[in-house]
Amino acid sequence: MDGPDLAWYLIVSAILFSIGTLGVLVRRSPLIVLLSLEIMLNAANLALISFARLHGGHDGQIFALTVMAVAASEVVVGLGLIVAMSRRRLTLDVDSFRLLRG
Amino acid sequence: MAIQAAWICLFAPLAGAFAITVMGESITRRTAAWLSTVSVFVAFAGAVVAFVELLGKSAEEREQLSTAWTWLSTTNLEIGMTLLVDPLSVTMMLIVSGVGGLIVLYSIGYMDGDPEERRYFAYMSFFVFAMLLLVQAGNFLLLLAGWGLVGLASYLLIGFWHERKEAVDAAKKAFIMNAFGDATMALAFFVLIWQTGSLEFGDVFARAEGMSSTLLNLVALGLLGGAVAKSAQIPLHTWLPDAMEGPTPVSALIHAATMVTAGVYLIVRAHPLFELAPTIQDLAAGLGAITLVVAGLIALVQTDIKRVIAYSTMSQIGYMFVGVGLGAYANGMFHLMTHAFFKALLFMAAGLVIHHLAGEQDIRQMGGLRRVMPKTAIAFLVGSLALVGIPPLSGFFSKDSILASALASGGYGQLLFAAGAAGALLTGLYTFRLFFTVFLGQPSQLVLDRDHGEPHHRGEGPWTMTVPVAVLTVLAVVGGWLQIPDVWHPFGDWLHDVAEPLVEPSVAQDLLASALAVGVALIGIGIAWVFYGARRRDLPRAAALRDILEHKLYVDELYDAVFYRPAVWMAGMWRRTIEEPLIGGSIAGVSLGARRAGSALGETQTGYLRSYALAIAGAAAVLVVVFLAVQ
Repeated sequence: MDGPDLAWYLIVSAILFSIGTLGVLVRRSPLIVLLSLEIMLNAANLALISFARLHGGHDGQIFALTVMAVAASEVVVGLGLIVAMSRRRLTLDVDSFRLLRG
Repeated sequence: MAIQAAWICLFAPLAGAFAITVMGESITRRTAAWLSTVSVFVAFAGAVVAFVELLGKSAEEREQLSTAWTWLSTTNLEIGMTLLVDPLSVTMMLIVSGVGGLIVLYSIGYMDGDPEERRYFAYMSFFVFAMLLLVQAGNFLLLLAGWGLVGLASYLLIGFWHERKEAVDAAKKAFIMNAFGDATMALAFFVLIWQTGSLEFGDVFARAEGMSSTLLNLVALGLLGGAVAKSAQIPLHTWLPDAMEGPTPVSALIHAATMVTAGVYLIVRAHPLFELAPTIQDLAAGLGAITLVVAGLIALVQTDIKRVIAYSTMSQIGYMFVGVGLGAYANGMFHLMTHAFFKALLFMAAGLVIHHLAGEQDIRQMGGLRRVMPKTAIAFLVGSLALVGIPPLSGFFSKDSILASALASGGYGQLLFAAGAAGALLTGLYTFRLFFTVFLGQPSQLVLDRDHGEPHHRGEGPWTMTVPVAVLTVLAVVGGWLQIPDVWHPFGDWLHDVAEPLVEPSVAQDLLASALAVGVALIGIGIAWVFYGARRRDLPRAAALRDILEHKLYVDELYDAVFYRPAVWMAGMWRRTIEEPLIGGSIAGVSLGARRAGSALGETQTGYLRSYALAIAGAAAVLVVVFLAVQ
């Protein structure tokens, strides 16, 4: 296998995932939260494809494709919600939605 | 053949009750009434067939058992649905279904127009079924089943007018007192199963001799408890007068022909057990003697026509207990039979009066009814004379044979005889106090009002009511001729093989007993005439005595103080100390704790999306660390 070691791919994947997680946790704008989610999904994709290459199989790649499809759908729904919210002139701040408070 | 007739006899009334219940409003009330009457008369026909069959057999072959199926089966106890047909049970079948049939027929007129007639007639048929099951049962368990069903039926019938509080209370009282007797009987049966391994009459009687005398006494005491409760003897008598809250035909059915005589039947049926426990048998006779005097005294001051007759019933059953307690079984059964005739007659004649006066039962409101209801007056007079024991009416032969047996039973017997003679005096007194007050003298205002001053305006009652009264009048006259001491005694011979008498009074004792009893009864009637008939003298003003008697010797109050109030007090105490703080409190505590825990956990739900995300990420991180660490 050419190129860097598997570990490097995984390190990149972990860094990406951590960045995404941190973004989801700390950012307030729903748009940014969605972007952070995408980063997390792509970190997972990277890990999947790395392993697929390592084993020479196709399963991981197919998984990655599926994740992309899911991510696309999710973005559609999420963006739709954000657009709806801004149309109703609601504050675009995830902390203002806390109906689940006990 | 006899046995098939017995099965029909048993199940015809049940079928009647069932049919009335199932058909409900699809039949008219009158049809339901006739259905019930016919079902009881079919039972009577069955009893007659069985009787004739048995008459045709020799004395040894008269006892027949028939088991339809095995009812209960355990490893060492098998109990069948067994009917016993022998002279004793056939006698009871004839009395129960015969007098019962007349009473149900009478009810057609008496209950006419009652909105719940169908229910009434279904209960009546059911009652007759229960009573027949009791007397036809071929083993003790089935007898107990009949015993309990009779209690249930009487509860239903006493409380028939369920919108009246007194009736419901009386029904409950009767049920509870009877349940007490049922319980003591059940305990006796447990001892019998333990000791003899059977509840078949024959097996039990054969094996009972091997039991220790303590256990035998306990068994007999348990049976006596049941008999005393069902037959309303002291100390379990208080339910019977209250049971007068039921319709009058019910009083006739329960207090004359059937239920209350069950105790006497039980003692005769289980006489081998009682003979093995002579102390208890003497106790039965003693309780009967006490009851017959006390009930006679209380009857003197009662003002309700039915209650007077009810106390008289208690008193007469006291005579029967004296008879069977001394071992004069046939005499006791004979008095049971004649009593069924004349007591049913008295109740039904009283029912005619009550019916005529639209429900009035207070004898102080009555008077002079002889002019309005001459036939009823004659019937009542015949019943009264039979009850008092004036020859040649039925009560004379049966009561005096019991008294003669008492006279022939040694020192204890003579004591009982004295009580019985005193009872005869009281019987004459209270019976004719009732007759003179109700039927003689000037018509009271109530009577005049009811008749608008015209005699015979309303007649004496519909034929369904008058015919049974007429039949019973005849029976009350001739019923006693079945047994004339030293002349002929087919009744005694008939029962001889079932229960051999322990005493045989001599001719002299018979004559002495009769002369004395009739003498004191006539004195009683004479006293009643002086005070109530001719009203020559005012009543003695023994206020204290009167008070005691009107309160029925304070037995109700005593039971109230000893059983009811402590029970209520204890229940209240348990509620305050256990129920409310511990049981109620613990439930409240559990719910409060759950609510508090819930709101505390609710605090962790901030509603911030990021805190949930953090929890997920944190949990994932922890899992990763754990997996790595485990590896």
